[in-house]
Amino acid sequence: MIQHTFGLLVKPDAQWRSIAALPASSLNILVLYPCIMALLPAVAWYYGTSRVGWTVGDGAGIRLTVDSALQLCILFYFAIVGCVAAVGYFIHWMAGTYGAETSFAKGIVVAGLTVTPLFVFGLAGFYPLLWVDMLLGVVAVSWSVYLLYLGIPIMMDIPEERGFLFSTAVVGVGLVILVSLMVTTVILWDFGAGPAFTDV
Amino acid sequence: MSELNAALEHPTYNYKVVRQFAIMTVVWGIVGMLVGVLIAAQMAWPALNFDLPWTSFGRLRPLHTNAVIFAFGGSALFATSYYVVQRTTQARLISDKLAAFTFWGWQAVIVAAAVTLPLGLTSSKEYAELEWPIDILIAVVWVSYAIVFFGTIVKRKVSHIYVANWFFGGFIVTVAVLHIINSAAIPVDMTKSYSAYAGTVDAMVQWWYGHNAVGFFLTAGFLGMMYYFVPKQAERPVYSYRLSIVHFWSLVAVYIWAGPHHLHYTALPDWAQSLGMVMSIILLAPSWGGMINGMMTLSGAWQKLRTDPILRFMVVSLSFYGMSTFEGPMMSIKTVNALSHYTDWTIGHVHSGALGWVAMISIGCMYHLIPIVFGKSRMYSIELINVHFWMSTIGTVMYIASMWVNGILQGLMWRAYNEDGTLTYTFVESLVASHPGYLVRLAGGAIFFAGMLIMAYNVYMTTRKDVAEQALPAGAAQGSHA
Repeated sequence: MIQHTFGLLVKPDAQWRSIAALPASSLNILVLYPCIMALLPAVAWYYGTSRVGWTVGDGAGIRLTVDSALQLCILFYFAIVGCVAAVGYFIHWMAGTYGAETSFAKGIVVAGLTVTPLFVFGLAGFYPLLWVDMLLGVVAVSWSVYLLYLGIPIMMDIPEERGFLFSTAVVGVGLVILVSLMVTTVILWDFGAGPAFTDV
Repeated sequence: MSELNAALEHPTYNYKVVRQFAIMTVVWGIVGMLVGVLIAAQMAWPALNFDLPWTSFGRLRPLHTNAVIFAFGGSALFATSYYVVQRTTQARLISDKLAAFTFWGWQAVIVAAAVTLPLGLTSSKEYAELEWPIDILIAVVWVSYAIVFFGTIVKRKVSHIYVANWFFGGFIVTVAVLHIINSAAIPVDMTKSYSAYAGTVDAMVQWWYGHNAVGFFLTAGFLGMMYYFVPKQAERPVYSYRLSIVHFWSLVAVYIWAGPHHLHYTALPDWAQSLGMVMSIILLAPSWGGMINGMMTLSGAWQKLRTDPILRFMVVSLSFYGMSTFEGPMMSIKTVNALSHYTDWTIGHVHSGALGWVAMISIGCMYHLIPIVFGKSRMYSIELINVHFWMSTIGTVMYIASMWVNGILQGLMWRAYNEDGTLTYTFVESLVASHPGYLVRLAGGAIFFAGMLIMAYNVYMTTRKDVAEQALPAGAAQGSHA
């Protein structure tokens, strides 16, 4: 699995092609890929927010309490996996419209592999410095979007123009799921899962 | 002028007013977005206020919103509605003089806004800042617009009224009602008036207007564009005509009730807030009906995407329409609004609609329409349209993403408290934390603005009589759409 991570970051085109050539059984095992990779950002942010902490302006250092960070990062992990699964389902659901044949598992695999840069850059959570993380986040998101537009036509075996429409629809779904995630988060905060801060 | 343009005159249709509004769409787009970039820079570096009242954020911000909504968006709506109503009714506008009056009257309104707003003359109603003499001019121009539009429909040469005209018509009627009721005021002198309503009622009338300015000015009118230009550019019929009719009536019926979500946790009665929230959530259904109709129309034209960046503008604008019409109902949920209100999340949401949907569908339509009304087969450079497309998309994404981060950050910081009950952050600390987001937003906005400059060059070269179109990029052949 690790070779897919490096491959998608270093030689994305060739890597997508070799993944597309995998037999269905090997491809389905890759459903585990996002489940494992999502541990990276979850663990990194747990450590970063509870042990390293951050400062705002000239203010004192701020951290989350260990309990709060643990609770949030477990939720964070399941949110990531849930979102990947949701995007995967929609990829599968929309495939017919764009003339491709898929399964739910294949949808999850495509979604999971596409966000590889986000998983890797999630490691930035070890050092929660806002502007650095934001910059890395922008790079990771752009990279993932590039991987999506590159990967969809290859994985789905459809012409590039059709892939462009398909990918754009996936981006649309992704944005909607992102907004849902933000909204769910805010509502959960309100129901008591909010972060608890502590001075360093 | 008339002699110079004699060669451009269409035998049946009045294209002159369409040309005028189309050009002004580009001009006001550039002006409005330039002011937007300036005030985005002021948020990052407040010294750019120059310590002058006329250039302070508080005065330039309404100038920006008025310029992009009413000058840029308004001109695009006038241009496309006049174009579409003539072509789908196969009749010339009922009065060239009245149409010309709407053009010059609307430009006068915009110039008056550009003068009075920096001077600090304002009614202080958001999106309705203009003082009462200008409001009267707007009402007169708008009623003339309605006469030209509906008069043309009355003398139509085909019995069927195409769905795009329903949307344009709904937009024209509703905006007239909204503007006249919300702007009712008691004048003190030429530059000062007081709203005819008081207190909470004033707030409710204002946001009944404000939200429907979004719903009808910035949505219904632009859906009219979508229903004509998307099938036209894709060279396919609308995916479902029945859905488009359902879309129209449900949108019109539901939008008008959503205004109270702007007044969550204010003095507005609680039941009215909850009603506004429920209606806002229901609104998701008609919005998505329209998005799906547009998307499905386009997905049949996928073969043309490689060669036709105009189609790409339309695809992406519909994606942003879908996203922002989902985000809106979510943000109207009171629990969510408690965090998101007064943060940059709201500004990001507005711009995902304004840049991603309204501006991008307008730009796509202008690229379709301008060569036709200037008697050319296509735009001067297809390659430059493609460059513009990518700049718009990247600029919009940067804008929205940075405002999401800032919004969540601000909402979280403002409500964070320590174990002893003291606030974790001061307000200034939340500003400091927002600074990187403001820089990314400025960059995104500047990229979008620069794309408009490229459009202006492309439009200028298209309108020149002595310049032929550039060669098409390899393998490209834009569909004819004359």
